[in-house]
Amino acid sequence: MDDTRRHRTAECDRCELELEAYMEGEARPFVLAHVRECVFCKVVSEDLQALRTAAGELPLEEPSPAVWANVRAQLSAEGTFAEKEGVWSWIWQLDLLRRPVPVAAFACMLVLGCWMTAPRNYPQSEASASLAASGGQPVAVRSMAFVSGGTSLEQVVRELEEAFKAREGSLAPDVKATYENSLSSLDVSIRECNDSLQREPGNSLAHEYLFAAYSQKAEVLSSALDIDEGR
Amino acid sequence: MSQQKTAAPKAASETQLVARAQRGEEEAFAALFEMHKRRVYSLCLRMTGNTAEAEDLAQEAFLQLFRKISTFRGESAFSTWLHRLAVNVVLMHLRKKGLQQVSLDEVDSSQDEPVKRDYGDYDRRLMGSVDRISLTRAIAELPPGYRTVFVLHDVEGYEHNEIAEIMKCSVGNSKSQLHKARMKLRDWLRQNEGLMTPDEPVTSDQAPTER
Repeated sequence: MDDTRRHRTAECDRCELELEAYMEGEARPFVLAHVRECVFCKVVSEDLQALRTAAGELPLEEPSPAVWANVRAQLSAEGTFAEKEGVWSWIWQLDLLRRPVPVAAFACMLVLGCWMTAPRNYPQSEASASLAASGGQPVAVRSMAFVSGGTSLEQVVRELEEAFKAREGSLAPDVKATYENSLSSLDVSIRECNDSLQREPGNSLAHEYLFAAYSQKAEVLSSALDIDEGR
Repeated sequence: MSQQKTAAPKAASETQLVARAQRGEEEAFAALFEMHKRRVYSLCLRMTGNTAEAEDLAQEAFLQLFRKISTFRGESAFSTWLHRLAVNVVLMHLRKKGLQQVSLDEVDSSQDEPVKRDYGDYDRRLMGSVDRISLTRAIAELPPGYRTVFVLHDVEGYEHNEIAEIMKCSVGNSKSQLHKARMKLRDWLRQNEGLMTPDEPVTSDQAPTER
């Protein structure tokens, strides 16, 4: 006969009542005495200790890379990240953006110079090729050149614009006005290029100007986001 | 002692990272995320028992943290701040789901059913050490109220007074819920993970030895 087979006793009931406090480190002489006598209550007590130990030793789990990707994208869209020091912040330190007319003239000359000196036989962009294949439907901005990771420049600009709108309230009024002027003139250029592309989808020059205008807009927005409040 | 030696540079490095993040440096955000992602995610995972929910909640916790990081003044440890924030994010989520998490004092009576204990025929200790996968599954099976207290206390190392504050319940209630959670876990592991063989009686040579 297996003498470990037995039934619950009144002492087991009392032990169970006191086990909670015992597990919390309270002195419970009755529990200590009872588990020396009762194999079942001893097993329960040791199991609970084992569970506690095992829980404290559970290894940490690794989240998927999507978590950081989502956090980063959201913070970026909210304008939490400061832009790195770049050409535009250097230009800003020179106060050039406070003089939009000469700067705009310089930018125009730069673009024009690049256009005049660049070779004429540009390879057709992926978007232009698909446009031609589709019969030349006016897709205008959607024909922007693609940047790395399949993200269009238009999309980048749109995200920067959202971030700028979220933060423009913190800019000093004169700084804000300067940026708005610059962005407004670039928007005019973008509209003109789009109009040209609607009329003549294969116009490679309009594509180039459109790309340049978006690039400039991206840089202007980036530099605006780099400005601290009241700077 | 050796822990102190390694903890000090880490704390210094973390302080520097926080300062850099407060200036908006993306690399600092990334480094802080890297430093704490596993603990935050594991906490979310164990409190919800669901990987998709856990990732969403970890993401939300870090977003809230980074949005508020400029207000961090270093009165408490950064990790303490982050983990408390993550706990609150998870609890808020559970409350929104309508689970009985608002207060342990208001816990669903179904969670308070006495844990079934069988004496006599087949009680045996859990075999050896409890393996990680079985325990993780068992924790996920706990009712939410028990799970929260168990994870906070036995896994995350919170004290009962901290849990009482977080859960807005009494310290006694926290202790009581923890005990019931452990008993339920033991019961579940015995019945579902083959850690016990219900029909097999305890024999004298299997009986636990004296401590």
